[in-house]
This record gives sequence, structure tokens and C-alpha cells, in this order.
Amino acid sequence: MPDLALDYQFLDPQTLEFTLRDHLTFHDGTPLTSDDVKATFDGLMDRALGSPKADKLEPVDRIEAPGPSRVVFHLKRPYAPILAELVLPIVPRSRAFAAAAPAQDRAPIGAGPFRFSAQPDEEHIVLTPFEGYYGGKPRIRRLLIRTVRDETTRVLELLKGRADLVIGAVSPPIFPALHAGVRGDLRTDEPRLRILWEPGSAYAYLGLNSRSGPLSDLRIRRAICHALDVQPILKAKFRGLAQPATGMLPPGHWAYAETAGCRRDLALATQLLTEAGYSTARGEREGLKEAPPGRAKRTLHLTLKTSTDRFRKSIALVFQEQLAEAGIEVEIRSLEYGTFFNDVRKGNFELFSLVWSSGSVIEPDILRWVFSSANIPGPENAFAGLNRTGYRNRRLDELLDRATRVGQDERKVLYAQALALIDSDLPYIPLWHESSPAIVSSRLQDFEPSPQGYLRPLARAREAAP
Amino acid sequence: MRRLAGAPLAIAGSLILVSLFLNLVPGDPVEMMLGEQAPSVDREALRRSVGLDRPWYGQLWLFIRELATGNLRSSLPPFQRKILPQIFAALPNTLLLTFAAMAVAILIAIPLGVAAASRKGTAVDHAAMGIAVAGVALPRFWLGPMLIILFAIKLDWLPVSGADSPRNLILPSVTLGTALAAFLSRITRASMLDTLREEYVTVSRAKGLSPSAVLWKHAFRNALLPIITVLGLEFGALLGGAIVTEKVFAWPGMGTLLLTGIEKRDYNLVRAVVLVFTLSYVAINGLTDLVYTAVDPRVRRQ
Repeated sequence: MPDLALDYQFLDPQTLEFTLRDHLTFHDGTPLTSDDVKATFDGLMDRALGSPKADKLEPVDRIEAPGPSRVVFHLKRPYAPILAELVLPIVPRSRAFAAAAPAQDRAPIGAGPFRFSAQPDEEHIVLTPFEGYYGGKPRIRRLLIRTVRDETTRVLELLKGRADLVIGAVSPPIFPALHAGVRGDLRTDEPRLRILWEPGSAYAYLGLNSRSGPLSDLRIRRAICHALDVQPILKAKFRGLAQPATGMLPPGHWAYAETAGCRRDLALATQLLTEAGYSTARGEREGLKEAPPGRAKRTLHLTLKTSTDRFRKSIALVFQEQLAEAGIEVEIRSLEYGTFFNDVRKGNFELFSLVWSSGSVIEPDILRWVFSSANIPGPENAFAGLNRTGYRNRRLDELLDRATRVGQDERKVLYAQALALIDSDLPYIPLWHESSPAIVSSRLQDFEPSPQGYLRPLARAREAAP
Repeated sequence: MRRLAGAPLAIAGSLILVSLFLNLVPGDPVEMMLGEQAPSVDREALRRSVGLDRPWYGQLWLFIRELATGNLRSSLPPFQRKILPQIFAALPNTLLLTFAAMAVAILIAIPLGVAAASRKGTAVDHAAMGIAVAGVALPRFWLGPMLIILFAIKLDWLPVSGADSPRNLILPSVTLGTALAAFLSRITRASMLDTLREEYVTVSRAKGLSPSAVLWKHAFRNALLPIITVLGLEFGALLGGAIVTEKVFAWPGMGTLLLTGIEKRDYNLVRAVVLVFTLSYVAINGLTDLVYTAVDPRVRRQ
């Protein structure tokens, strides 16, 4: 949508008009007009298609196409986040509804720089440049997208020179091997592989179950926060390819606001734990004087769930060590992704570590999806709500709801207050913002990575002269 | 014939067990497909559309019915791709890999085992058995990348992964075959030692036959039976090992298909792959029996 639209304008808080570029063409040669835009969104909002996007488009009342290049969205109520929700690929009107979905699944048609050419098997997709692309035909002659499941094998294919681009699929600790194993091109003295990246907004966090158990006690959530130190992880594990996070929004985001955060302070962590009734010194004898009568003091024991990804597991081990220094015993359980994700969704965890992709952290309304008590997984949202930590704060709910209805300046103020509330209540412990580094071979030139790690910059890249 | 009677039982048992386990594994196809957030999507309708509203035995029955009509489809709504074309594309690759690995194992193990047995207690014997122990101990997820680094990167002789040319088959089959080669060479040695002690071997030696004729014609032929038994039994282990090997070498076979099925919770795909694995296992066991009769006429007479 931001590609296809030349301009947009709020006619009033509930009416949004887009002007499309001229001479837009789909891959099958038909012109892309406002009718296709309308059909695409009508299709997504149609129950029959069953699109997961339908929820985010709920505030849209109806769409009009008054002229071939004019599209008007009528909203049910003022809804500021709508612009971000409309960033979706447009399909031909003949492909927009449920009946044509299988065809679109087999051989997709769009209006982007590369067109679908073939899918010879499950592991390969072939794309070719589209001469009708409004930004000009891409200079790359052919794109082969190949699935290689094993990280080591991906690295070895790069070293062999059989892969020209891998984005976000090699973890930073392996990067030195890419340099060490590669001879530079003798003529130009240019390394055969380069690592390119833009600071990303993907948000890594620890989720704390605030419904019940020890973590429903704010003192313990704070103690954990003060026991952790992300700096050594950023340095040793990410090699500087991630920035410390103070909250969900990255510095530089229009709604970013600085929050107090918590610095590593073991004394404070210990004190908070003691106040909450836990013993903190490892090996400390039970039955100390401060212990409440009739109850021996015990060490805080928590379970941290992660996926089986080697890199994420190694980070979890650092957390385990840091928390042990504060007297918190952590057991790491790394689970197959489907099982892990299911536990997170069902609230079956004490601590978990996950990352919100950079695509989700563009519109600050994500805060409402993740922290509003209306979105705690439950029957009313088919257990699909994103507030998986079960965090409830009435004032925050109001702030975040109000922020969807007002103009940008006012939103900024509201989000600053919301971020401060979240920062002091700690349903999440902010860790860092990750980027999606691109490993690029010398055969691929002029590739400018996007912060989200998209393949899109390939539209402007070129192949090196042989 | 009596041996074949066990086959349906094995097939039914494996299908029932897999269906039970799938039922126990958390997460279901609809949730995996929807991913993050979609409260308003009618999950129950999606589940019904692929039969997930039924109990595990109902789902299994549906699977069998779809399979019988040749119309087996994925458990993933909404598109429900056909599964059989995927299986037919992947199965030849896995069979090729497995038999190539078996060939590698036989080519390494038989000479090694026979050499060790005929020179029992010498340095040759110790070296051969040392290699065998190392071969069993090497995990495939380590051996695979090491072979790639040596032969594909450093020496630049072979491709890293994929299945574009016949040369792609070499490294995965060596990776997959090594453990079996090691195990098989120990069996060969033991079996050869047994037969070498037999009286007819002494007799043929006394007749003045050449040592190699004694070794290969008389001793080895009789030592073959246990070796074939082990080969047949180990076929299942080879199929299991193929899953790891296929992942490392991005080999588009049944293992890759099984991993995809598990990740996406595509119940029907997992069932179908396990069914094919069971069928191959049963078939290989049958084949082993046939080979017995060819190798040892005594089995025929019984």
C-alpha cells in the first residue's frame, strides 16, 4: 500500500482517502485500479476467507472506489492505527475472495518487482523480474529461494559461494566463521561475504506470568529485572548487532519515550526477594530469624521456557547464571516450537523469552494488543489474545484505548504515560531490539538492507559483473 | 507366508500409536496456521473442515478412508494440499539415500570385518575395530558438516547440500552409512570368526585350497546369514538416521517431509510418512527372508 499509494488524506477523522499511482500493473498484465484495492480489503474482511487480518480491519466500515485511482475508507469510529493496518499486498479483484484463494496460493499474482515463476518442489521458489513494475524492472535476472533447514548448512552454502543472500537466518556467534573461512577476491581485495544490517525494531523480552504464582508479586518481578544485565549478552552473543531496549518501542520511533528501566543492582534484587519472603543466599541455612513463624524460608525457584533454538538456549543460560547470582534458581526448559508456543498462549509458564518481530513493532497500537486486559487470552477472544502474561491495569487500558481515537500529538503523550506504567508494573522485562543482518555475497551489489530484514531491497540491487 | 501375517498388525499398530501421540502433542494445525492473533476467525469451523473436531480414532478413520480413495489431503486448512504427490516426490529420494548408505556400509564393512577376522589379534584387527568404534560413536549432525567442510569447502570436490546432481548423493550417503558400516564390520568379524573355527574350513584348508578361496568361498558364504539379518534389522535405524541426514544436507526426502509435518502439526502428513516408513520396514524384512533362502538353501527346505 505505501508503494501503490501516491498520497493519502484524512477527509475527516473517520474518512481516509488514498490516491493511487498511475499505470500500475499486475503480474498478469491487467491494470491495478481502485476496484482491486477495494476488492482486496473486502475479501480480507469477508468471513468466508477467514483471514487473520479481519480483526485488525474491524474498524473499517466500508470502502469506496469513486475513481480508478481514488480509494476511500470509511471507518466506524476515529481509529488512528488504521494506516499501519492497511499496509497489505493488493491482489487482483478476481483473486480477492475465498473461491480464488487456492489459485492465489498455487501461483500468486501481485504487483511487486518480482513475479512468481515456479515452485518446482517444496524447497524451491523461482521468481523473475517483472517488467511492468512501476519502479522499473529489477536488474537481477532470476531469484531462487531455497529452504535449507540446518543453520550450519546455510553457513556452509554461503562459504561455498552457492548462496548470495541469507537474511536473519544465521545467528551472530557464527559470524566470525564467515570471515575466517572466506578468501577475499584477489582482484578487488573485497571479501566474498559481507554482513550488512540496519538497526532493527524487533523486540526481545522476558514474559512474566502475572496471573498467579510468585511472579504475581511485583517485588519479585522487579527483583528479576534488577538481577539481569543485558550488556554482556549484547556484546558476546550479538556482537553489537542489537541495542538495549527500555520498552517495546525502539529509540527513534515517533512514540518512543524514555522510561526509568531497571539497572543491574544485586543488593536491591536481594532486598526485594527477602521482602517477598524468600531466602537469597545460596547455601544459607533455613530457619533464620526473619523467616515468618511456622514457615521456613525457601529459595525462589522458577522455570524459564524457550524454544529449542541453540542461540536462544545459550542466552537463557546466561540469564540462569545472572539470576543465580541474586539467589534465584532458574530451570530452563527448551521445548519444540509448537509445544513452546502453545504453552505461552495457554498461560502455562512462569518465565518465557520471545521476540516480537520488527513488523509487529511499527504501529504503537501493538501495546494495546499486548498489554490491554481486554486481550488476555480467554473465551471472548477464542484464547487468541496477545496479553499472554495476564497483565491487568485499568488505567493502562483506558490510555491505550484513548490513544486509538486521537491525533498523533496527543497519542505521543498517551503512549509515554502507557510506557511508564508498563515499565513500573513489569509484565515484560525489556531486553533488546534485534536487527536482521543480511549476509551478502560479492555477486550481489547495491543491496541496502531494510531494518525489518525484508527481501524488498532486491528490487534495486544488481548482480556483479562476472 | 506366516511371516507376512504380522505385517498388517505392525502397520495398524504404528498408525494407532502415531495417532495417539499426535493427539497428546500440544498445539493443533489450526492454531499453528493462524499464528499470532485472530480472535474472530471461526476456529471451530476450520477444525470441522479438516475433521479435527473428531476424536483421534475418528480422525484416523478419516485418514484411512481418504487414503483408500487416493484423495488424502493435508490437515492444514484452508487449502489442504494433496499429500500423495508430496510423498511420491520425496520417497524415491529417501530410498535412494538409504540404499546408497547401505551400499557404502557394505563396501566398507565387509572387507574391514573379513580382514580383521582373518588376522585376528594383529594390528590390522585392532585398527579395523578401532575405526568401527569411532564410526558408531560419531553423531550424524557432526559428521555431516565435517564431511561438507572437508570435501565441499576445503577440497571443493562436491556440492554442500541439495539434490541437483548425482554428486549430491555422495556425502549424505557416507554420513548415513558410517554408523551402519561400523556396526556391520563388527558383526562380520564375529560371524567370520565363528565360521573360521568350523571343521569344514579346516578340511578345505587341509585339501590345499588357496587361503583366499577358503576365506571367501567357504567361510564368508556361511558367515553371511547373520550379516544379512543385521542389515535387515538396521534398515529401520537407517530410515530414522535419514531424518537427521536429510536435514543437514537439505535433502528433499521423507525425513524433511516428516519434520515439516511435525512443525506445522499436519497430522495427516505425519501419519502418511510414518505409514510409508512402516511399510518400507515390513517390505525390507520380507525381502531379508527371501535373501536368506537364496543364500542358504537350508532355510528353503525347512
